[in-house]
Amino acid sequence: MPRVSLEWPDGRRETVGVDPDEPLLDAAERAGIGLPFGCRIGVCGTCTGRAFDGGTRHVEPPRALKGRHLEAGYVLTCIATPEVDCTVEVGTDVRARLFENPWR
Amino acid sequence: MSSSHMGEHGEHEHHEVEGPGYATPQAAIEESERETVAYVIGLYTGTDVDAPDFLAVVDVDPDSGTYGEITERIEMPTKGDELHHFGWNACSSSCHMEGLERRYLVMPGNRSSRITIVDTENRAHPEIVRVIEPEEVHELDLSAPHTVHCPAGGGVMISMLGDADGELPGGFLELNEDLEVEGRWDLPGEIEMNYDFWYQPRHNVMISSEWAAPETYQPGFDMEDVEAGKYGHRLHFWNWGDKTVEQTVDLGEEGLVPLEVRFLHSPEATHGYVNAALSSNIFHFFEDDGEWRAEKVIDFEGRDLEGWDMPVPALPTDILISMDDRYLFGANWLHGEVWMYDISDPANPRHADSISIGGYFGDVREVKGRELTAGPQMVQLSLDGERLYWTTSLYSTWDDQFFPEEKERGSVMLKADVDPRRGTLTLDEDFLVDFGTLPEGPARAHEIRWPDGDCTSDVWQ
Repeated sequence: MPRVSLEWPDGRRETVGVDPDEPLLDAAERAGIGLPFGCRIGVCGTCTGRAFDGGTRHVEPPRALKGRHLEAGYVLTCIATPEVDCTVEVGTDVRARLFENPWR
Repeated sequence: MSSSHMGEHGEHEHHEVEGPGYATPQAAIEESERETVAYVIGLYTGTDVDAPDFLAVVDVDPDSGTYGEITERIEMPTKGDELHHFGWNACSSSCHMEGLERRYLVMPGNRSSRITIVDTENRAHPEIVRVIEPEEVHELDLSAPHTVHCPAGGGVMISMLGDADGELPGGFLELNEDLEVEGRWDLPGEIEMNYDFWYQPRHNVMISSEWAAPETYQPGFDMEDVEAGKYGHRLHFWNWGDKTVEQTVDLGEEGLVPLEVRFLHSPEATHGYVNAALSSNIFHFFEDDGEWRAEKVIDFEGRDLEGWDMPVPALPTDILISMDDRYLFGANWLHGEVWMYDISDPANPRHADSISIGGYFGDVREVKGRELTAGPQMVQLSLDGERLYWTTSLYSTWDDQFFPEEKERGSVMLKADVDPRRGTLTLDEDFLVDFGTLPEGPARAHEIRWPDGDCTSDVWQ
């Protein structure tokens, strides 16, 4: 069972074990850890985290993320499962980095 | 149908109303009491507050000891809905349907596709009575519910912005009288993008507008998607009875992201307005010799902000028409302006008054000592047209781009007094509902509704 270290921007850390093909969000909920989410089908991006060093795989198409986001290591915790032990940055501030104010 | 309303002076004598709502828009103005309770969408989706979204009961009775306070919150059963717009099981369109009541709120989760039904029999303490789970919606190859309308007869229709994968096409979901899923209203493929809709039964027309696919607008706003044509710019004019699109009007570059469709309330009217939010223009649509047409009638110019790359658009994200069809109200979310236009000549709206508040440019920066962290957004008007209320959150992911402090501080609900004779708007400096001070943490606030109907739900047959 791969173990994922969840890290929040404010320094909080938790570790969860994830079953094969199980979405990280589900595993976190099983462990009593509340992560942000919305659609749970990879569309809305609310659950976005970032796996800086990789190690996760999406089990459904990650429609909320663009190519540039995937290259930068962003993952959708509602449909991403770890393949090895890894670290995922979580919390809504991570998602907020996906898009900027275009007029600024 | 009861015969008691078929008065002696002809078939459409509407003095007696057996069902919900009012016989005419003017009856709504004359017969309604001043609103004492507001139902307001409150949400935590997209924040780190680990709690479900909720329906807030707000006391708007100035004679009450809890005036301006959130007196009750009805938590949704699950987190992550992004409650957004909501509506009633019945409105004035069913005013002759004996036995029907305006009683149940249909509350869609725009992200979750979950639909929660709330019973407001006890106005101060509504209760959840039914939950339609996302799987049931996805089975019809639909997702992302938005606008709720209640055509005559007890069923409910909801615009759906995507298919089961959050892609296009969207469509319409129908609930039956018991507010269970009835099926899909439209045949897939009549439209691609969807957003808001309004229907005008006497002219057998329904008009739908366009935002984008859920996979496009939900994660956040990306100018690349606009350039790639992934945002809407069309209005669809449906044959209401046949459920088919008879005419599509392309609003072009000046009509990007047409959102709220507001028809005049008179059941005879063939005029309405839609706000092209991204282009920051208001379009007037009307029937002309059997054809529907749309023309730009208000153009809000972008404004320069020192140090910013491009002029900032006004972003008029919500509009509504007063029950007497005299004024069009709206809010420019980025600029920070609440406005009213005289529409007595529908093709030539005339600016009546504005309040410059919040947003990037608003003159008023705080109310009752509370700093404003966003612009005016969702508006609602009292039935008598004398009080305009608004909230400040647009959509969680978009808030984060344009007013990121809204997540940390929460939304506010504000009010202006309207003089519909003089055409003036005056900020009520003593009215503030602060969604930032709730026990779980700061919440966003979105659409507002009154228990006895409002300017954005009631339609007449």
